[in-house]
Amino acid sequence: VDFVLLAGAALLAAMALAAAPWTRGFARPRTPFDASSSRFLVPAYELITEAAAVIPPGASFAVRTEPPNPPFQALFQRLGVALLPDRRSRPDPVPGLPVSADWPPEADFLIVVGAAPRDTGGEIVLETARGTVRRRGPR
Amino acid sequence: VREAAWLAALGLLPLVGAPILTHPRFRILGAAARGVLSAAAGAAIVSFAMTLFTLARRPWGVLTVAALALVLAAGLRAMLGRSPGPPLAPEDARAERRSRAEVFATFASALGVAAAFFATMSAGATSPDLFFFWGPKAQRFAAARGVDAAYLAEPAHAYMHAYYPPLVGNLGALASMAARGFSWTAATLTFPILLAALAAALPGILRGTAGRRRAATVSALAVAALAAVGVRAGVAGNGDMPLVFFETLAVALLLREDAGDAAIQLLAGLLLAGAAATKVEGLVVAVAAPLLFLTLRPARLRSPSVAASAARLFAPTAATLLAWFAVGAATGLFHEYSEYGAFFALHSEYWRSIAVSMPAALGRAGFGLPYLVPLAGLLISGRPSREQWLPLGAAACLILFLVFAYLHHVIDPSQWIAWSAARVLMPVPALLALALAVGAGPPAAPVPPRAAPSPR
Repeated sequence: VDFVLLAGAALLAAMALAAAPWTRGFARPRTPFDASSSRFLVPAYELITEAAAVIPPGASFAVRTEPPNPPFQALFQRLGVALLPDRRSRPDPVPGLPVSADWPPEADFLIVVGAAPRDTGGEIVLETARGTVRRRGPR
Repeated sequence: VREAAWLAALGLLPLVGAPILTHPRFRILGAAARGVLSAAAGAAIVSFAMTLFTLARRPWGVLTVAALALVLAAGLRAMLGRSPGPPLAPEDARAERRSRAEVFATFASALGVAAAFFATMSAGATSPDLFFFWGPKAQRFAAARGVDAAYLAEPAHAYMHAYYPPLVGNLGALASMAARGFSWTAATLTFPILLAALAAALPGILRGTAGRRRAATVSALAVAALAAVGVRAGVAGNGDMPLVFFETLAVALLLREDAGDAAIQLLAGLLLAGAAATKVEGLVVAVAAPLLFLTLRPARLRSPSVAASAARLFAPTAATLLAWFAVGAATGLFHEYSEYGAFFALHSEYWRSIAVSMPAALGRAGFGLPYLVPLAGLLISGRPSREQWLPLGAAACLILFLVFAYLHHVIDPSQWIAWSAARVLMPVPALLALALAVGAGPPAAPVPPRAAPSPR
Protein backbone atom coordinates (compact mmCIF):
# COMPACT_ATOMS: atom_id res chain seq x y z
CA VAL A 1 0.00 0.00 0.00
CA ASP A 2 2.81 2.40 0.81
CA PHE A 3 4.11 2.09 -2.73
CA VAL A 4 0.66 2.96 -4.11
CA LEU A 5 0.42 5.95 -1.79
CA LEU A 6 3.85 7.19 -2.82
CA ALA A 7 3.06 6.74 -6.49
CA GLY A 8 -0.23 8.58 -5.96
CA ALA A 9 1.49 11.41 -4.13
CA ALA A 10 4.04 11.70 -6.92
CA LEU A 11 1.31 11.73 -9.56
CA LEU A 12 -0.70 14.40 -7.76
CA ALA A 13 2.37 16.54 -7.10
CA ALA A 14 3.21 16.28 -10.81
CA MET A 15 -0.36 17.32 -11.65
CA ALA A 16 -0.06 20.33 -9.35
CA LEU A 17 3.21 21.26 -11.04
CA ALA A 18 1.65 20.84 -14.47
CA ALA A 19 -1.23 23.13 -13.50
CA ALA A 20 1.13 25.94 -12.49
CA PRO A 21 1.65 28.57 -15.22
CA TRP A 22 5.31 27.82 -15.91
CA THR A 23 5.24 29.28 -19.41
CA ARG A 24 4.90 32.73 -17.87
CA GLY A 25 8.32 32.37 -16.26
CA PHE A 26 9.24 34.20 -13.09
CA ALA A 27 8.11 37.65 -14.16
CA ARG A 28 5.90 39.42 -11.65
CA PRO A 29 2.29 39.30 -12.88
CA ARG A 30 0.52 42.60 -13.61
CA THR A 31 -2.65 41.56 -11.79
CA PRO A 32 -3.53 38.78 -9.33
CA PHE A 33 -5.67 37.14 -12.03
CA ASP A 34 -3.24 37.05 -14.96
CA ALA A 35 -2.92 33.26 -15.11
CA SER A 36 -5.94 32.24 -13.07
CA SER A 37 -9.27 30.81 -14.18
CA SER A 38 -10.74 34.26 -13.39
CA ARG A 39 -8.79 36.08 -16.12
CA PHE A 40 -12.00 37.81 -17.19
CA LEU A 41 -11.46 40.09 -14.19
CA VAL A 42 -8.14 41.46 -15.52
CA PRO A 43 -9.50 44.43 -17.54
CA ALA A 44 -11.74 45.53 -14.67
CA TYR A 45 -8.94 45.08 -12.17
CA GLU A 46 -6.58 47.25 -14.19
CA LEU A 47 -9.14 49.98 -14.86
CA ILE A 48 -10.42 50.13 -11.28
CA THR A 49 -6.88 50.18 -9.89
CA GLU A 50 -6.14 53.21 -12.05
CA ALA A 51 -9.51 54.73 -11.17
CA ALA A 52 -8.37 54.91 -7.54
CA ALA A 53 -6.26 57.91 -8.54
CA VAL A 54 -9.21 59.92 -9.83
CA ILE A 55 -12.06 58.87 -7.53
CA PRO A 56 -11.54 60.64 -4.22
CA PRO A 57 -12.26 59.03 -0.84
CA GLY A 58 -15.89 59.38 0.14
CA ALA A 59 -17.14 59.56 -3.45
CA SER A 60 -19.60 57.00 -4.78
CA PHE A 61 -19.16 54.87 -7.86
CA ALA A 62 -20.91 52.38 -10.09
CA VAL A 63 -19.32 49.98 -12.55
CA ARG A 64 -20.78 49.23 -15.97
CA THR A 65 -19.59 47.08 -18.82
CA GLU A 66 -19.56 47.87 -22.49
CA PRO A 67 -21.08 46.03 -24.25
CA PRO A 68 -23.55 45.42 -21.41
CA ASN A 69 -22.94 42.19 -19.52
CA PRO A 70 -25.03 42.19 -16.33
CA PRO A 71 -23.38 39.18 -14.59
CA PHE A 72 -19.87 40.55 -15.22
CA GLN A 73 -21.01 44.01 -14.21
CA ALA A 74 -22.14 42.71 -10.80
CA LEU A 75 -18.78 41.03 -10.26
CA PHE A 76 -16.84 44.12 -11.39
CA GLN A 77 -18.81 46.22 -8.94
CA ARG A 78 -17.67 43.86 -6.15
CA LEU A 79 -14.12 44.19 -7.40
CA GLY A 80 -14.58 47.94 -7.10
CA VAL A 81 -15.56 47.54 -3.45
CA ALA A 82 -12.28 45.71 -2.85
CA LEU A 83 -10.02 48.07 -4.78
CA LEU A 84 -11.70 51.38 -3.85
CA PRO A 85 -12.07 50.79 -0.11
CA ASP A 86 -12.76 54.35 1.03
CA ARG A 87 -15.40 55.02 -1.62
CA ARG A 88 -19.09 54.13 -1.57
CA SER A 89 -20.36 51.40 -3.84
CA ARG A 90 -23.61 52.26 -5.59
CA PRO A 91 -24.47 49.27 -7.76
CA ASP A 92 -27.55 49.02 -9.89
CA PRO A 93 -30.57 48.07 -7.78
CA VAL A 94 -30.82 44.47 -8.94
CA PRO A 95 -27.34 43.08 -9.60
CA GLY A 96 -27.07 40.83 -12.60
CA LEU A 97 -30.15 42.11 -14.37
CA PRO A 98 -30.01 44.25 -17.51
CA VAL A 99 -29.71 47.94 -16.73
CA SER A 100 -30.70 51.07 -18.53
CA ALA A 101 -28.13 53.26 -20.19
CA ASP A 102 -28.88 56.04 -17.72
CA TRP A 103 -26.40 57.22 -15.18
CA PRO A 104 -26.82 55.00 -12.07
CA PRO A 105 -28.63 56.73 -9.24
CA GLU A 106 -26.47 58.11 -6.41
CA ALA A 107 -23.20 57.43 -8.22
CA ASP A 108 -20.71 60.29 -8.45
CA PHE A 109 -18.44 58.32 -10.77
CA LEU A 110 -19.19 55.81 -13.48
CA ILE A 111 -16.52 53.24 -14.32
CA VAL A 112 -17.19 51.73 -17.73
CA VAL A 113 -15.16 48.61 -18.47
CA GLY A 114 -14.96 48.22 -22.24
CA ALA A 115 -13.36 49.81 -25.24
CA ALA A 116 -16.33 51.71 -26.65
CA PRO A 117 -18.25 53.48 -23.91
CA ARG A 118 -21.66 54.86 -24.66
CA ASP A 119 -22.15 58.53 -24.11
CA THR A 120 -23.75 58.53 -20.72
CA GLY A 121 -22.90 62.12 -20.01
CA GLY A 122 -20.52 63.45 -17.40
CA GLU A 123 -16.90 64.40 -17.77
CA ILE A 124 -14.29 61.80 -18.72
CA VAL A 125 -11.61 61.88 -16.02
CA LEU A 126 -9.73 58.74 -17.06
CA GLU A 127 -9.52 56.94 -20.37
CA THR A 128 -7.44 53.82 -20.92
CA ALA A 129 -7.45 50.84 -23.23
CA ARG A 130 -9.55 49.08 -20.58
CA GLY A 131 -12.33 51.68 -20.44
CA THR A 132 -13.24 55.04 -19.00
CA VAL A 133 -14.09 56.75 -15.76
CA ARG A 134 -16.63 59.59 -15.89
CA ARG A 135 -17.53 62.12 -13.24
CA ARG A 136 -21.13 63.21 -12.99
CA GLY A 137 -21.73 66.73 -14.10
CA PRO A 138 -23.86 69.29 -12.30
CA ARG A 139 -27.37 67.87 -11.65
CA VAL B 1 7.49 45.58 2.09
CA ARG B 2 3.83 45.55 3.05
CA GLU B 3 3.56 41.92 1.95
CA ALA B 4 6.37 40.95 4.31
CA ALA B 5 4.96 43.03 7.16
CA TRP B 6 1.49 41.53 6.66
CA LEU B 7 2.81 37.97 6.76
CA ALA B 8 5.20 38.75 9.62
CA ALA B 9 2.25 39.99 11.68
CA LEU B 10 0.78 36.51 11.46
CA GLY B 11 3.91 35.39 13.32
CA LEU B 12 1.97 36.49 16.38
CA LEU B 13 -0.21 33.38 16.06
CA PRO B 14 2.37 30.73 17.05
CA LEU B 15 3.45 32.97 19.92
CA VAL B 16 -0.11 32.98 21.24
CA GLY B 17 -0.40 29.20 20.86
CA ALA B 18 3.01 28.56 22.40
CA PRO B 19 1.86 28.46 26.05
CA ILE B 20 -0.32 25.47 25.15
CA LEU B 21 2.01 23.59 22.83
CA THR B 22 5.05 23.97 25.09
CA HIS B 23 3.27 21.76 27.61
CA PRO B 24 5.35 18.59 28.11
CA ARG B 25 2.47 16.40 26.96
CA PHE B 26 2.94 17.64 23.41
CA ARG B 27 6.68 17.01 23.23
CA ILE B 28 6.09 13.68 21.51
CA LEU B 29 4.73 15.47 18.43
CA GLY B 30 8.10 16.85 17.47
CA ALA B 31 9.21 20.43 17.01
CA ALA B 32 7.76 20.98 13.54
CA ALA B 33 4.30 19.73 14.44
CA ARG B 34 4.30 21.68 17.69
CA GLY B 35 5.26 24.88 15.90
CA VAL B 36 2.49 24.48 13.33
CA LEU B 37 -0.07 23.46 15.95
CA SER B 38 0.93 26.52 18.00
CA ALA B 39 0.06 28.69 15.01
CA ALA B 40 -3.24 26.89 14.44
CA ALA B 41 -4.25 27.07 18.10
CA GLY B 42 -3.09 30.68 18.23
CA ALA B 43 -5.21 31.55 15.18
CA ALA B 44 -8.35 30.12 16.80
CA ILE B 45 -7.65 31.94 20.07
CA VAL B 46 -6.76 35.30 18.50
CA SER B 47 -9.90 35.26 16.34
CA PHE B 48 -11.98 34.42 19.41
CA ALA B 49 -10.37 37.28 21.34
CA MET B 50 -11.17 39.69 18.48
CA THR B 51 -14.78 38.52 18.49
CA LEU B 52 -14.94 39.16 22.24
CA PHE B 53 -13.59 42.69 21.69
CA THR B 54 -16.31 43.32 19.13
CA LEU B 55 -18.94 41.93 21.48
CA ALA B 56 -17.71 44.23 24.24
CA ARG B 57 -17.70 47.15 21.77
CA ARG B 58 -14.00 47.75 22.39
CA PRO B 59 -11.77 48.72 19.45
CA TRP B 60 -9.13 46.26 18.29
CA GLY B 61 -5.50 46.99 18.86
CA VAL B 62 -2.70 44.61 17.95
CA LEU B 63 -1.27 44.67 21.45
CA THR B 64 -4.59 44.53 23.30
CA VAL B 65 -5.82 41.63 21.15
CA ALA B 66 -2.53 39.81 21.67
CA ALA B 67 -2.72 40.40 25.41
CA LEU B 68 -6.25 38.99 25.72
CA ALA B 69 -5.35 36.05 23.48
CA LEU B 70 -2.32 35.26 25.62
CA VAL B 71 -4.48 35.35 28.77
CA LEU B 72 -6.90 32.90 27.12
CA ALA B 73 -4.02 30.65 26.03
CA ALA B 74 -2.56 30.74 29.54
CA GLY B 75 -5.97 29.71 30.89
CA LEU B 76 -6.08 26.75 28.52
CA ARG B 77 -2.55 25.81 29.49
CA ALA B 78 -3.60 25.85 33.14
CA MET B 79 -6.42 23.43 32.28
CA LEU B 80 -3.85 20.93 31.06
CA GLY B 81 -2.40 20.65 34.54
CA ARG B 82 1.20 20.18 35.53
CA SER B 83 1.60 16.44 35.24
CA PRO B 84 3.61 15.23 32.27
CA GLY B 85 0.83 12.73 31.58
CA PRO B 86 0.97 9.17 30.31
CA PRO B 87 3.93 7.83 28.38
CA LEU B 88 4.42 10.74 26.09
CA ALA B 89 8.17 10.69 26.14
CA PRO B 90 9.73 12.71 23.35
CA GLU B 91 10.52 10.72 20.28
CA ASP B 92 14.08 11.10 19.26
CA ALA B 93 13.71 11.47 15.53
CA ARG B 94 17.43 11.32 15.04
CA ALA B 95 17.53 7.87 16.58
CA GLU B 96 16.10 6.34 13.40
CA ARG B 97 17.46 6.82 9.95
CA ARG B 98 14.94 7.97 7.39
CA SER B 99 13.85 5.28 5.01
CA ARG B 100 13.88 5.83 1.26
CA ALA B 101 10.10 5.95 1.29
CA GLU B 102 10.19 8.81 3.81
CA VAL B 103 12.71 10.74 1.76
CA PHE B 104 10.62 10.25 -1.38
CA ALA B 105 7.45 11.26 0.47
CA THR B 106 9.12 14.45 1.72
CA PHE B 107 10.20 15.19 -1.84
CA ALA B 108 6.65 14.69 -3.16
CA SER B 109 5.27 17.02 -0.47
CA ALA B 110 7.92 19.61 -1.32
CA LEU B 111 6.97 19.43 -5.01
CA GLY B 112 3.31 20.00 -4.15
CA VAL B 113 4.16 22.99 -1.98
CA ALA B 114 6.50 24.37 -4.66
CA ALA B 115 3.72 24.09 -7.26
CA ALA B 116 1.31 25.91 -4.96
CA PHE B 117 3.86 28.62 -4.25
CA PHE B 118 4.77 29.16 -7.89
CA ALA B 119 1.15 29.12 -9.04
CA THR B 120 0.24 31.67 -6.38
CA MET B 121 3.16 33.97 -7.13
CA SER B 122 2.36 33.76 -10.84
CA ALA B 123 -1.27 34.77 -10.27
CA GLY B 124 -2.39 31.31 -11.33
CA ALA B 125 -4.31 30.27 -8.21
CA THR B 126 -5.93 33.49 -7.00
CA SER B 127 -9.45 33.09 -5.67
CA PRO B 128 -11.86 35.76 -6.88
CA ASP B 129 -13.63 35.42 -3.53
CA LEU B 130 -10.60 37.02 -1.91
CA PHE B 131 -11.57 40.21 -3.74
CA PHE B 132 -15.31 39.73 -3.47
CA PHE B 133 -15.59 39.34 0.27
CA TRP B 134 -12.73 37.87 2.33
CA GLY B 135 -10.36 40.75 1.55
CA PRO B 136 -12.83 43.66 1.65
CA LYS B 137 -14.10 42.50 5.03
CA ALA B 138 -10.59 42.28 6.48
CA GLN B 139 -9.68 45.62 4.94
CA ARG B 140 -12.77 47.34 6.33
CA PHE B 141 -12.60 45.70 9.76
CA ALA B 142 -8.98 46.83 10.10
CA ALA B 143 -9.98 50.41 9.31
CA ALA B 144 -12.93 50.24 11.71
CA ARG B 145 -10.89 48.43 14.39
CA GLY B 146 -13.66 45.86 14.70
CA VAL B 147 -16.46 44.05 12.87
CA ASP B 148 -18.12 46.95 11.07
CA ALA B 149 -21.83 46.20 11.38
CA ALA B 150 -22.88 49.29 9.40
CA TYR B 151 -20.67 48.24 6.49
CA LEU B 152 -22.06 44.70 6.46
CA ALA B 153 -25.62 45.97 6.77
CA GLU B 154 -25.36 48.14 3.64
CA PRO B 155 -27.54 46.67 0.88
CA ALA B 156 -24.66 47.19 -1.56
CA HIS B 157 -22.62 44.73 0.53
CA ALA B 158 -25.32 42.09 1.01
CA TYR B 159 -23.29 39.59 -1.03
CA MET B 160 -20.64 39.56 1.69
CA HIS B 161 -22.79 37.33 3.92
CA ALA B 162 -22.70 39.20 7.24
CA TYR B 163 -23.29 35.98 9.19
CA TYR B 164 -20.25 34.25 7.74
CA PRO B 165 -17.84 33.01 10.46
CA PRO B 166 -15.24 35.64 11.32
CA LEU B 167 -11.80 34.01 11.57
CA VAL B 168 -10.39 34.84 8.13
CA GLY B 169 -11.69 38.42 8.27
CA ASN B 170 -10.45 38.87 11.83
CA LEU B 171 -6.94 37.60 11.20
CA GLY B 172 -6.67 39.49 7.92
CA ALA B 173 -7.67 42.64 9.77
CA LEU B 174 -5.11 42.02 12.49
CA ALA B 175 -2.33 41.60 9.92
CA SER B 176 -3.55 44.72 8.09
CA MET B 177 -3.54 46.75 11.30
CA ALA B 178 0.03 45.65 12.02
CA ALA B 179 1.17 46.23 8.42
CA ARG B 180 -0.83 49.48 8.08
CA GLY B 181 -2.74 48.21 5.11
CA PHE B 182 -4.15 45.13 3.44
CA SER B 183 -1.91 43.10 1.15
CA TRP B 184 -3.65 41.10 -1.56
CA THR B 185 -0.46 39.29 -2.50
CA ALA B 186 0.28 38.30 1.09
CA ALA B 187 -3.28 37.07 1.51
CA THR B 188 -2.90 34.78 -1.51
CA LEU B 189 0.38 33.44 -0.12
CA THR B 190 -1.48 31.96 2.84
CA PHE B 191 -2.36 29.08 0.49
CA PRO B 192 1.18 27.74 -0.07
CA ILE B 193 2.24 28.70 3.46
CA LEU B 194 -0.55 26.71 5.10
CA LEU B 195 0.12 23.83 2.71
CA ALA B 196 3.79 23.87 3.72
CA ALA B 197 2.72 23.97 7.37
CA LEU B 198 0.59 20.87 6.86
CA ALA B 199 3.49 19.12 5.14
CA ALA B 200 5.70 19.92 8.11
CA ALA B 201 3.23 18.96 10.83
CA LEU B 202 1.37 15.91 9.57
CA PRO B 203 4.20 13.33 9.71
CA GLY B 204 4.88 14.15 13.36
CA ILE B 205 1.21 13.96 14.31
CA LEU B 206 0.52 10.78 12.35
CA ARG B 207 3.49 8.99 13.94
CA GLY B 208 1.11 8.55 16.84
CA THR B 209 -1.23 6.61 14.54
CA ALA B 210 1.00 4.64 12.21
CA GLY B 211 4.63 3.81 11.65
CA ARG B 212 7.05 6.44 10.38
CA ARG B 213 6.85 5.29 6.79
CA ARG B 214 3.07 5.29 6.58
CA ALA B 215 2.89 8.63 8.41
CA ALA B 216 5.20 10.11 5.79
CA THR B 217 3.44 8.60 2.76
CA VAL B 218 -0.04 9.57 4.00
CA SER B 219 1.16 13.13 4.67
CA ALA B 220 2.63 13.36 1.20
CA LEU B 221 -0.56 12.06 -0.38
CA ALA B 222 -2.70 14.58 1.52
CA VAL B 223 -0.41 17.52 0.70
CA ALA B 224 -0.05 16.59 -2.97
CA ALA B 225 -3.82 16.14 -3.35
CA LEU B 226 -4.48 19.53 -1.73
CA ALA B 227 -1.88 21.16 -3.97
CA ALA B 228 -3.43 19.63 -7.09
CA VAL B 229 -6.95 20.76 -6.17
CA GLY B 230 -5.92 24.11 -4.74
CA VAL B 231 -3.97 25.20 -7.82
CA ARG B 232 -6.68 24.09 -10.24
CA ALA B 233 -9.63 25.35 -8.24
CA GLY B 234 -7.94 28.65 -7.39
CA VAL B 235 -8.09 28.82 -3.61
CA ALA B 236 -5.27 31.27 -2.91
CA GLY B 237 -6.54 33.88 -0.47
CA ASN B 238 -9.96 32.45 0.33
CA GLY B 239 -11.16 30.49 3.37
CA ASP B 240 -10.80 27.02 1.91
CA MET B 241 -7.13 26.45 2.73
CA PRO B 242 -7.42 27.67 6.35
CA LEU B 243 -10.46 25.42 6.73
CA VAL B 244 -8.72 22.31 5.44
CA PHE B 245 -5.68 23.22 7.56
CA PHE B 246 -7.70 23.20 10.79
CA GLU B 247 -9.75 20.15 9.90
CA THR B 248 -6.83 17.99 8.78
CA LEU B 249 -4.77 18.75 11.89
CA ALA B 250 -7.72 18.18 14.23
CA VAL B 251 -8.75 14.84 12.72
CA ALA B 252 -5.11 13.69 12.59
CA LEU B 253 -4.87 14.37 16.32
CA LEU B 254 -8.04 12.40 17.01
CA LEU B 255 -6.62 9.40 15.13
CA ARG B 256 -3.58 9.14 17.40
CA GLU B 257 -3.25 6.21 19.76
CA ASP B 258 -3.01 8.68 22.64
CA ALA B 259 -6.14 10.59 21.59
CA GLY B 260 -7.70 9.62 24.91
CA ASP B 261 -5.37 12.08 26.55
CA ALA B 262 -7.10 15.21 27.77
CA ALA B 263 -4.44 17.48 26.29
CA ILE B 264 -4.79 16.00 22.80
CA GLN B 265 -8.56 16.30 23.00
CA LEU B 266 -8.47 19.90 24.13
CA LEU B 267 -6.09 20.78 21.32
CA ALA B 268 -8.27 18.98 18.76
CA GLY B 269 -11.31 20.81 20.13
CA LEU B 270 -9.52 24.11 19.74
CA LEU B 271 -8.62 23.37 16.12
CA LEU B 272 -12.17 22.29 15.35
CA ALA B 273 -13.32 25.62 16.78
CA GLY B 274 -10.92 27.22 14.30
CA ALA B 275 -12.60 25.28 11.50
CA ALA B 276 -16.09 26.31 12.64
CA ALA B 277 -14.93 29.93 12.82
CA THR B 278 -13.51 29.81 9.28
CA LYS B 279 -16.39 28.69 7.09
CA VAL B 280 -19.99 27.58 7.57
CA GLU B 281 -19.23 24.02 6.49
CA GLY B 282 -16.44 23.89 9.09
CA LEU B 283 -19.19 23.34 11.64
CA VAL B 284 -20.06 20.04 9.95
CA VAL B 285 -16.65 18.52 10.61
CA ALA B 286 -16.44 20.25 14.00
CA VAL B 287 -19.55 18.33 15.04
CA ALA B 288 -19.12 15.10 13.08
CA ALA B 289 -15.48 14.34 13.95
CA PRO B 290 -15.89 14.50 17.75
CA LEU B 291 -19.17 12.58 17.59
CA LEU B 292 -17.52 9.86 15.53
CA PHE B 293 -14.53 9.87 17.85
CA LEU B 294 -16.69 9.41 20.93
CA THR B 295 -18.73 6.71 19.23
CA LEU B 296 -16.05 4.77 17.41
CA ARG B 297 -13.12 5.02 19.75
CA PRO B 298 -14.47 4.41 23.27
CA ALA B 299 -11.37 2.40 24.12
CA ARG B 300 -9.31 5.56 23.64
CA LEU B 301 -11.24 7.51 26.27
CA ARG B 302 -8.82 7.28 29.12
CA SER B 303 -10.14 10.45 30.67
CA PRO B 304 -12.66 10.31 33.53
CA SER B 305 -15.81 10.20 31.41
CA VAL B 306 -17.25 10.54 27.95
CA ALA B 307 -18.84 13.78 29.12
CA ALA B 308 -15.44 15.24 29.99
CA SER B 309 -14.08 14.25 26.58
CA ALA B 310 -17.13 15.69 24.86
CA ALA B 311 -16.71 18.94 26.75
CA ARG B 312 -13.09 19.27 25.66
CA LEU B 313 -13.97 18.54 22.04
CA PHE B 314 -17.12 20.63 21.73
CA ALA B 315 -16.73 23.48 24.22
CA PRO B 316 -14.25 25.56 22.15
CA THR B 317 -16.54 25.43 19.10
CA ALA B 318 -19.59 26.23 21.22
CA ALA B 319 -17.85 29.20 22.84
CA THR B 320 -16.58 30.49 19.49
CA LEU B 321 -19.95 30.34 17.77
CA LEU B 322 -21.85 31.64 20.80
CA ALA B 323 -19.62 34.71 20.79
CA TRP B 324 -20.10 35.18 17.05
CA PHE B 325 -23.89 34.80 17.17
CA ALA B 326 -23.96 37.14 20.16
CA VAL B 327 -22.24 39.70 17.90
CA GLY B 328 -24.91 39.04 15.28
CA ALA B 329 -27.72 39.50 17.80
CA ALA B 330 -26.16 42.57 19.41
CA THR B 331 -25.72 44.31 16.06
CA GLY B 332 -28.97 43.00 14.62
CA LEU B 333 -27.03 41.69 11.63
CA PHE B 334 -27.96 38.02 11.80
CA HIS B 335 -29.45 35.34 14.01
CA GLU B 336 -28.65 32.24 12.01
CA TYR B 337 -26.65 30.89 9.13
CA SER B 338 -28.58 31.65 5.98
CA GLU B 339 -27.43 31.06 2.47
CA TYR B 340 -29.48 30.68 -0.66
CA GLY B 341 -32.99 29.90 0.52
CA ALA B 342 -35.23 29.19 3.48
CA PHE B 343 -33.94 26.39 5.69
CA PHE B 344 -35.18 22.98 4.60
CA ALA B 345 -36.98 24.45 1.58
CA LEU B 346 -35.40 21.77 -0.60
CA HIS B 347 -35.70 21.80 -4.35
CA SER B 348 -35.78 18.10 -5.03
CA GLU B 349 -36.25 18.76 -8.73
CA TYR B 350 -32.50 19.48 -8.88
CA TRP B 351 -31.38 16.06 -7.66
CA ARG B 352 -30.41 14.94 -11.13
CA SER B 353 -28.60 18.17 -11.88
CA ILE B 354 -26.62 17.91 -8.63
CA ALA B 355 -25.81 14.26 -9.22
CA VAL B 356 -24.37 15.12 -12.63
CA SER B 357 -22.76 18.45 -11.80
CA MET B 358 -20.80 17.41 -8.72
CA PRO B 359 -18.74 14.64 -10.36
CA ALA B 360 -18.29 16.87 -13.40
CA ALA B 361 -16.92 19.67 -11.21
CA LEU B 362 -14.54 17.31 -9.45
CA GLY B 363 -13.53 15.94 -12.83
CA ARG B 364 -12.41 19.39 -13.93
CA ALA B 365 -9.95 19.43 -11.01
CA GLY B 366 -7.41 17.12 -12.64
CA PHE B 367 -9.84 14.42 -13.83
CA GLY B 368 -10.96 14.00 -10.22
CA LEU B 369 -7.65 12.28 -9.44
CA PRO B 370 -6.99 14.25 -6.22
CA TYR B 371 -10.14 12.60 -4.88
CA LEU B 372 -9.82 9.26 -6.65
CA VAL B 373 -6.21 8.45 -5.76
CA PRO B 374 -6.77 8.44 -1.96
CA LEU B 375 -9.99 6.55 -2.57
CA ALA B 376 -8.11 3.94 -4.60
CA GLY B 377 -5.61 3.59 -1.75
CA LEU B 378 -8.48 2.88 0.61
CA LEU B 379 -10.00 0.31 -1.72
CA ILE B 380 -6.66 -1.47 -2.03
CA SER B 381 -6.14 -1.47 1.72
CA GLY B 382 -9.29 -3.51 2.24
CA ARG B 383 -12.49 -3.12 4.21
CA PRO B 384 -12.40 0.01 6.40
CA SER B 385 -11.80 -0.65 10.06
CA ARG B 386 -14.04 0.83 12.74
CA GLU B 387 -11.53 3.57 13.50
CA GLN B 388 -11.11 4.51 9.85
CA TRP B 389 -14.72 5.59 9.88
CA LEU B 390 -13.76 8.67 11.85
CA PRO B 391 -12.21 10.51 8.88
CA LEU B 392 -14.39 8.67 6.37
CA GLY B 393 -17.55 9.57 8.27
CA ALA B 394 -16.47 13.20 8.57
CA ALA B 395 -15.86 13.30 4.81
CA ALA B 396 -19.24 11.70 4.14
CA CYS B 397 -20.97 14.24 6.40
CA LEU B 398 -19.29 17.09 4.52
CA ILE B 399 -20.42 15.74 1.15
CA LEU B 400 -23.98 15.23 2.41
CA PHE B 401 -24.05 18.73 3.85
CA LEU B 402 -22.98 20.24 0.54
CA VAL B 403 -25.64 18.30 -1.35
CA PHE B 404 -28.11 19.56 1.27
CA ALA B 405 -26.89 23.13 0.69
CA TYR B 406 -27.08 22.80 -3.09
CA LEU B 407 -30.64 21.49 -2.80
CA HIS B 408 -31.64 24.80 -1.21
CA HIS B 409 -30.81 26.78 -4.34
CA VAL B 410 -33.96 28.28 -5.84
CA ILE B 411 -32.61 27.89 -9.37
CA ASP B 412 -30.67 25.03 -10.91
CA PRO B 413 -27.42 24.94 -8.86
CA SER B 414 -25.25 23.42 -11.60
CA GLN B 415 -23.39 26.68 -12.22
CA TRP B 416 -22.84 27.22 -8.50
CA ILE B 417 -21.55 23.65 -8.23
CA ALA B 418 -19.25 24.15 -11.21
CA TRP B 419 -17.30 26.91 -9.49
CA SER B 420 -17.54 25.73 -5.90
CA ALA B 421 -17.60 21.94 -5.58
CA ALA B 422 -13.92 21.18 -6.19
CA ARG B 423 -12.70 23.68 -3.61
CA VAL B 424 -15.36 23.19 -0.92
CA LEU B 425 -14.73 19.45 -1.10
CA MET B 426 -10.98 19.99 -0.60
CA PRO B 427 -11.09 18.48 2.90
CA VAL B 428 -12.33 15.19 1.41
CA PRO B 429 -9.03 14.01 -0.15
CA ALA B 430 -7.18 15.01 3.02
CA LEU B 431 -9.63 13.05 5.20
CA LEU B 432 -9.47 10.03 2.88
CA ALA B 433 -5.69 10.13 3.09
CA LEU B 434 -5.81 10.33 6.89
CA ALA B 435 -7.94 7.19 6.96
CA LEU B 436 -5.04 5.38 5.32
CA ALA B 437 -2.88 6.04 8.37
CA VAL B 438 -5.23 4.03 10.58
CA GLY B 439 -4.48 0.37 11.08
CA ALA B 440 -1.19 0.53 9.22
CA GLY B 441 0.93 -1.15 11.86
CA PRO B 442 1.95 0.14 15.22
CA PRO B 443 2.75 3.79 15.73
CA ALA B 444 6.36 4.72 16.18
CA ALA B 445 7.23 3.58 19.68
CA PRO B 446 8.18 6.40 21.99
CA VAL B 447 11.81 6.33 22.88
CA PRO B 448 12.18 6.23 26.66
CA PRO B 449 13.78 9.32 28.08
CA ARG B 450 17.52 9.01 28.16
CA ALA B 451 19.14 8.82 31.53
CA ALA B 452 20.99 11.94 32.48
CA PRO B 453 24.72 11.56 31.81
CA SER B 454 26.55 10.48 34.87
CA PRO B 455 28.80 13.16 36.36
CA ARG B 456 31.39 10.42 36.69
